[in-house]
Formats: sequence, C-alpha cells, structure tokens
Amino acid sequence: MLIRFLQTNREASVAVIILLLFVVLGVVDTSYLSFETVLSIYNNSLILLVIAIGATLVMATRGLDVSIGSIMGLSAAVAGILMNGQFGIGPSIAIALFVGLLCGLFNGFMVAILRVPAIVATLGTLGLYRGLVHLVTSGSWIEGLPEGFKGLSHAGFLGLSAFAWIVLFLLVGTHCWLRYTAFGRSLFAVGDNREGARLLGIKVRQVQLTAYAINGVLAALAGIIFAAQIGFIPNTAGNGMEMRAIASSVLGGVSLLGGTGTVIGAGLGAYFMTSIDSVLVMLRLDAFWNDMIAGGILLVVLIADGKIREAMGSALRYQKYRKFIETDAQNDKSVETPTIKELGEVRK
Amino acid sequence: MNRLHFLKRWETVLAILLIGEILVFGAINPAFLRPSTLLFSTSDFVHIGIVALALTLVIITGGIDLSIGAVMGLAAITLGLLWVNGVNIWIACFGALCVGCATGVLNSVAIHVAKVNPLVITLGSSFLFSGAALVLSGLGGASGYEGISGFDASFVELANLEVLGLPFPLVIFFVATGIFMVILHRTRFGRYIYLIGQNDRAARYAGVPQFRTLTIAYALTGIMAALSGLVLASYFGSARSDFGSAALMPAITAVVLGGTSIYGGSGTILGTALAALLVGYFQTGLQIIGVSSHVSNALSGGLLVLVVALRSLSEMGRAYYLQWRVLKSVGQQTS
Repeated sequence: MLIRFLQTNREASVAVIILLLFVVLGVVDTSYLSFETVLSIYNNSLILLVIAIGATLVMATRGLDVSIGSIMGLSAAVAGILMNGQFGIGPSIAIALFVGLLCGLFNGFMVAILRVPAIVATLGTLGLYRGLVHLVTSGSWIEGLPEGFKGLSHAGFLGLSAFAWIVLFLLVGTHCWLRYTAFGRSLFAVGDNREGARLLGIKVRQVQLTAYAINGVLAALAGIIFAAQIGFIPNTAGNGMEMRAIASSVLGGVSLLGGTGTVIGAGLGAYFMTSIDSVLVMLRLDAFWNDMIAGGILLVVLIADGKIREAMGSALRYQKYRKFIETDAQNDKSVETPTIKELGEVRK
Repeated sequence: MNRLHFLKRWETVLAILLIGEILVFGAINPAFLRPSTLLFSTSDFVHIGIVALALTLVIITGGIDLSIGAVMGLAAITLGLLWVNGVNIWIACFGALCVGCATGVLNSVAIHVAKVNPLVITLGSSFLFSGAALVLSGLGGASGYEGISGFDASFVELANLEVLGLPFPLVIFFVATGIFMVILHRTRFGRYIYLIGQNDRAARYAGVPQFRTLTIAYALTGIMAALSGLVLASYFGSARSDFGSAALMPAITAVVLGGTSIYGGSGTILGTALAALLVGYFQTGLQIIGVSSHVSNALSGGLLVLVVALRSLSEMGRAYYLQWRVLKSVGQQTS
C-alpha cells in the first residue's frame, strides 16, 4: 500500500527522505529543529530551485539542457556590468533576463528546428556561452555591486527575501501551469510521444522552443539571485550547476525520457540536495562528504525507484492477463498452446 | 567511382579539416608548424582523446558515461594515497587502474539492476565518485582541493619520455587507438556493441550476452578514464581530486564530432581519434596565435554547434532530396 502510494505520488518519497534527514538532525541536537533551519535551507536552495524548475520543463519534453550553468554565468555577468555602469537595477535585471531568453531560444532553435540531439546541442552552447562570459567580463571578476541589489536577497516580509517570494510564486505558478493548462499538458504530451502529439494537433516545435526559452529565462534569474546573494560575480559562476539541477529533478521523479514529473517534486529534490550541505555543516562533519552522500542517496533512490516501477509494471500486466491464465488452468486441454509459456515470461 | 567512395566518409572530412586547420594556423604563425610544437603540444589534450576512445564504445551501445571525469580524479587520488602510504609507484598505478575498472563495473551493474537510463545512473555515480575522491584526499591529509605531489621521479618523467621521437602520452593514445579499432571493428564483441546500439531488443532475441557486453564496455571506459587520470598525474607531477572535471564535456564533444550517433548504433574509433586531435589542435592553435584560452573554449563549443548543425541540416536535406526523387519517379510513371 505504501509502495503504491509512493509510486503514484513520486514527490512523496523525496519528502520522506527530507523528513528522515531532519529526524537525524533532531536526534543529534534538538535545538536545530526549528522553523528557522527550514527557512535558512530554503534560502540557500533558491538558485537550485529555480534551475530545477527549468530543467523539469525541458525534461518534460524529453529534452536536456546542460548549458544552464553557462547561461547563469552569462546573465549574471551582463547584469553586473550594466549595474556597475549606472544603468539602474531594474533595467539591468530585465536585460539580463532577456539575454537568458536569447540563449534559451538559441538552444531551442538547435533542438526543435535543426533537430540536433539535445545533449549535443546544449553541450556546444555550454562552451559557447561560457566563452561569452569571459569575453564580456574580459576575464576579471565583477565586484562592488550596488547595495540596493544585494538588499534584494536580505530577509524581508515574513523572514523571506524578495527573491525567496519570487521563487515561491514561481514554484506554485509553474506547477499549476504544467498541471492545469492545455499548453502545460502539451509539454508532457510532446515528451511522451512526439509523433502522437503532432497528430493531436500540438505545435511540437513551438512547444519545445517555449520550454527551452523559459528554461533560459529561469537560468538567467538563477544567475541574478546568485549575484545578489554572494555580492560579486566570479567568471566561474554557475559552473557545474547543470548537473545539480538535473540530479534534483531526477531525484524528484522527473523522467529523462520525458512525459512525467512535477515541478513540486523537482523542487523537493533541489531542497534535499541543499539540505545535505546544510545538515552536514550542522552535524560538524567535514564538507567534503556531501557529494559522496548526495551521490549515494541519488543512486539508491534511482535503483529503488526502478525496482518498484518494474514490480508495479509486472503486477499490472499480471492483472491484465490473469483471466487467460485461470481459464487455461481450468480446461487443461489448451495447455499445450505456447501462450502459457509466454504469459509466464510476461509475468516475470 | 568505387575508388572515390571513401571521400564520402565522415572520417575523410575530419582528416581534411584537421590538415586544413594545421595549415591555416601554420600560415598565421609558422612556429605552429614546427614538428616539435605539433608533437609536444598534444600532451595538453591527449588525455581527453584517451578517454574518448573508450567512451565511443559506450555511446555506440546507446548509453553514456558521465562519470569519466570523476573517475579520472578518483584514480589520480588513489594513486596519490597509495604512494603516500609507501606503496611502490607501479603497484599504485595498477591499483588506480583497478579502481577505474571497479567503477565501470559498478556503473554497469547499477544500470542493469535499476533498468534506468544510463545518463541518470552515471550522473548519480559521478557525484559518488567525485565525492569519494574528495573524501579520500581529505582523509589522506591533503585538505579539500589541495593535491598530492612528490611522486617518484621515474613516474613523473614518464610524461616527458620520448619513444621513437614521440611523446609518451601520444604513444599511449596511438596504441590505444589501434587496440580499440581492433576490438570494435574486428571482434565479435565489437559487433555485439553495434547490435545493442542499433536495436536493443533484436540483440536480446538474437542471444547477445547483453549484460556481459555492456559491463565490459563500461569497465573499459573506467579503465581508460583511470589511465588518462594517471597520464595527467604524471604530466602535472601531482594528483588532485578535481582533475577530470573539465575533461568530461570535451571527451563527449570528441566522440560526437567523430561521427558517433548520440542515440547509439553507429560510429568509429578512427573518427573519435581524429576529432580528439581536431579539437585539441584547434585550442592550441588558437592559443598560439594569441587568443586567450577562455575564448578558444568558446570557439570550440561554437565549432561543435556548427558541425553538428551542418550535419543535421545535410541529413534533413538528403531526406528531402530522396523524398523528392521518389515522388518525381512516381510522377513520371503515372504520366
């Protein structure tokens, strides 16, 4: 029963793991178990949350974007340069988001129009955008960002910063958008069966292009949050984030084969990935353990998930063909037909 | 006509591109054409070629291995730890290769057991292995990202050793290319690799030992990743846990540029080897004519985008052309 519940609500398994993590924390030191801990981990996970939403959109269409880390770096650099050039905070952020949109559109153009395999196309743009970062910044770090910009990441209403509120709205908004609108559903339709979606009258290319474009904008937003949180922009901003984003989404039940997954699941995955870091610090373990623990848990979850899905599949198939097996058992004469053996295979 | 058939092959295009690229850079800066420059600049990028060769096998089976970068670091750190604890350097090398082999087997078993996309599993295991490398280097006293150095002189000299006038890493690359060409194109195992990539189900019905074949492919990738980690450790004279983090994407680039389909089923070792040289010389050439290394990274990313887009466009064009020809002949028959 529990297994079936976890299978239908894939997000719940991540939630359970997060709860377990907090229980471990509580056993060690109860003073850590507070609403503030939850909030501080949420604040640390903002960047990962935003790009995990983007990764979910792209993965729903059976795509993959490994260039998000570079888009993050590029838009953060653009925002930083414009702000230091007395351009005003609002317009700088808008232009940075627009840069992200262009990057995403280019990825989408490669994948949807030119039909280049997604991983190959975005692998190329990963290098390309990263190089643009170095061109834009001419190799130096960007420092001395305006105080008003950094202030956006300081705690405000109800202990949450402006960015934290934006991310919260994004999470809920995208979730509802994907769940309850025709366009949101068509993302999953394209990922599940591209040709079928086309025959249903969905504009497949347009859907794919939109997914990559939104992903680009979200990556740009993540870059801006990154800049506001740490107050300066190194050249390597966003390096390796693409793998973390994909890992969070996968952990939250988004399939790389497209067609399934929820934004909430991906968000929980991202929250979990960050909470490992924070909890290790609170447990006073050395920080170098966290990648290994994250990797180990990721593998265990994946393998368990695969096993459960396999068991569910064969149980379903057994239900479907059970009546044939039982009637065959009743009148033994038809036993020599090879279907019995095949059904046995099927049941396995 | 038949003799000219090889001109249509992708490898020929790559070879022409490679020669043209060397000539262009040579025309801009004649220093690039000196044999010693051409040969010894390969030491900067040949480790990517070494690991890309084995990765070709895995990608042809329709899988992918994202953990190679992590395995390179893990192997280098294993070598360092064993050496610090007084193990003979050659035995330590062997140990590092064994670790590489074990990681490959682990990947394969996890993929087999979970029946999940290899991309996901190796993404998870790359966190695991790079984490393990960090933990090992942390436990070994080299805190965090600091390296382990002070290796035996004979090991460090290996990277600068000349064999028949060629630098030793390049020799390893050539020998590995030869071995992998034989494995992939001349053995039953190689044909199985293609069959699994072409049609997984047909391979199963034909009785191909799938799990064994895949395990060998992933184990070979692990071993070659470890080997290239060792080459790097010897070249730099130190071992660091984040050695390979920058090598993953170039290695996949080399394989894809070499004509291997990312969906599996087609590709050649020669193509990968040529593409690895092509990308490597592109970067060093740009640096020699005075472009900064970051910009050259961007340009090689651009090169990949361009080549892949052109290939995709030409494929689409050919499909349209074939369709047009069929329609035309049908039209002629009916009229």
